[in-house]
Amino acid sequence: MSIRVARFLGWLWTRSVLLIACIVTVIPFLWLIASSFKSNEEFFRSTFLPMDGRRIAWERLTTEPFRRLFNELDFTNSLVNSIFLSSVTGVVATLCCAMGGYALAKFRFKGRGLCTALVLAAVLIPAPLIIAPTYQLLFRLDLLDSFAGLILPALAPAFGVFLFRQAIVSGVPNDLLEAARIDGAGEWRTFVTVVLPLVRPMIGTFLMITFLGMWNNFIAPQVVLQDPAKFPLSVAVAELRRGYYNDYGLQMAGTIISILPVMILFLVMQKDFVSGLTSGAVKA
Amino acid sequence: MEEQQDRIAGFLPEWLPPGAAIVTALAIGSTVMLLAGAARQTPNEKTMWTFARPHYLMYEPRIAAWNKSGRTPFDLRLLSLPAMERRMMASFLGDVPSADVLEVERRGVSRTFGGPVESVGFYDLTDKLKEEGLLEAINAPSFSPWTTRGHIFGLPHDVHPVMLGYRADLVEAAGIDVSKIETWEDFFREMKPLMADNDKDGKPDRFLLNMWETNQDHLEVLLLQAGGGFFDEQERPTLDSAINVRVLATITTWLAGPARVAADAPNFTAAGNKLKADGYVVSSFFPDWMGDIWKHEIPSLGGKMKLMPLPAWEKGGRRTSVWGGTMLGIPKTAVRTPKDFDVLWEFCKELYISDQFMRDLYREGGIVTPVKKYWSDPIFDEPNAFFSGQPAGRLYINLAPLVPNRNSSPYNTFAMYRTVDALVKLAEEARATGKYDMPTLESRAKVYLGEAQRQVENVLKRNVFLSGGAS
Repeated sequence: MSIRVARFLGWLWTRSVLLIACIVTVIPFLWLIASSFKSNEEFFRSTFLPMDGRRIAWERLTTEPFRRLFNELDFTNSLVNSIFLSSVTGVVATLCCAMGGYALAKFRFKGRGLCTALVLAAVLIPAPLIIAPTYQLLFRLDLLDSFAGLILPALAPAFGVFLFRQAIVSGVPNDLLEAARIDGAGEWRTFVTVVLPLVRPMIGTFLMITFLGMWNNFIAPQVVLQDPAKFPLSVAVAELRRGYYNDYGLQMAGTIISILPVMILFLVMQKDFVSGLTSGAVKA
Repeated sequence: MEEQQDRIAGFLPEWLPPGAAIVTALAIGSTVMLLAGAARQTPNEKTMWTFARPHYLMYEPRIAAWNKSGRTPFDLRLLSLPAMERRMMASFLGDVPSADVLEVERRGVSRTFGGPVESVGFYDLTDKLKEEGLLEAINAPSFSPWTTRGHIFGLPHDVHPVMLGYRADLVEAAGIDVSKIETWEDFFREMKPLMADNDKDGKPDRFLLNMWETNQDHLEVLLLQAGGGFFDEQERPTLDSAINVRVLATITTWLAGPARVAADAPNFTAAGNKLKADGYVVSSFFPDWMGDIWKHEIPSLGGKMKLMPLPAWEKGGRRTSVWGGTMLGIPKTAVRTPKDFDVLWEFCKELYISDQFMRDLYREGGIVTPVKKYWSDPIFDEPNAFFSGQPAGRLYINLAPLVPNRNSSPYNTFAMYRTVDALVKLAEEARATGKYDMPTLESRAKVYLGEAQRQVENVLKRNVFLSGGAS
């Protein structure tokens, strides 16, 4: 077998495997999209698109689920709530974690080791374990049923502080900080103009992680928020599934609405996200 | 795309990636939108939470009328079942207020019964129910899921007797007379012609019963009907009782082997509904609330279904069982003064004990009230179009006094899953060995249920309040 044939077979094999993986990944999405344009009765009559003999029966598809979501169930409100919670938490938590990580990485102060150990220990505590105490604390602080009750506990996650600490330890030389200080930069200016640009990939990555984390956060909003007008999409979509009977078209339409914005955002931010994930993977 | 990003990046601070700038813009935009749209509504003085949309729709006008009558106004909120249970448990464990009135489903309530009886988060209604004669007025088995160690913590919403719903169109076309059926044995014998293999694929075209070994609800229905179950009256585990052993062995012959008659068409799922609509299963368990669900989810079966009492395990045996249950409870944190309790109690009675509620409950959900004095109401004799004109309400009421007691142990769900495990192992073993004779199945069922019993006992031992370890 010549090298060209072997290369071609390798190319064909790779593409075939990728094509199969692609089909397996895409089919559920296609099914989701097709189902979101169906009435409950049609949902059970056809798996993908409704067929009339060999013809696709377009007339049996309906935009009613989307109309109901936005007109009757006020999904616009839930969409704005989700964007607000995710973006505000993402931006502020990234800033807080970067500052926390910088302090732990570059400042010498009494109890620094203990602080770092506490941050590491906090990473180990599973979130469901602290639902009841958090609920009690939020009640005492009068933060139940408020956005602040969700945002405040998420502002300085231990994971984020530790991530930035590691990024700053390995990516920000002490000499550079010394030089900035000798040139007369204050601590804030040093942080903004020297430290943040050096951990830029981490900012994009962590912002994306926090944004997605809050967007998909289900248990905390379900416990903390009580007014349906404040529900984010994750809870609003879950509320579409009722204890007794379900409107499947409506659920599928709700799911599409809830995944579309993050898909777009991921496409826009994928360069930052990937560069943050791979930074430090190869030693310079 | 990259060029465009670089152009955008030229306007941004060095440390801010373009994606982060977009998220920051979203944060500012959504904050402005929320601030602009923020119009704080003053909440009413009291709040009630429910978990079921049909209940919510039923209560909304009633609560609006209550609020207009000049009495303490209430807000009604609809939450999903897991949301309600998480908030309820978080508030009970943290001893902080949740809603003033909670409408809760059976399994959620039993989770609150794990500690000392005086620490249950719900207000004890036993004395009030006795004082007002409601203990006699309400069907006795309806109290069982809300009762622990002799104390009642909820006002019952329902009775939930179980019947068998069958495809009357198929059964009648085959000339089968269901009035001849008294026991499960009769049922499978009479219905056997429906299991013909008309398409010659080597498998029956239909199965006679919608049931599978992994379905815990079906298993509990059958165990309770037979007089078995997971706990006795004193909340001691009884998983390996002789009745449970016999039921598990018998069910295994329905699920596997040459005499298999059951197949899985799971409830509340699209796939299951399709199988039911196609007639893959001829009959399913039908508590009174199930008809309304089928009517909405499988409207194509309207006029093709009929109800019959559950076939008994032996001649003269119980022809019904029970599935599900809901109550209204008043959290202790909502009662700060005796006047608080009076207001909440009046509200609960207005919602659950009134004749208007009885009518709404039946008309909108097909559910029979547990208040016995209403059972003679002609509404229950009205023909039900979904069930081919049968008076469904009357059929359920005839069985209501025979409904078995449900236990309220916080370990009920755990015990149920251990029993399901035993059934799954038994069925798998039977399929592997090909041994379907009753003596073999019963001896193996005893072994597997014995394991399950020990697991439940071990978990129960750790709870000093329920195992008798507390002084």
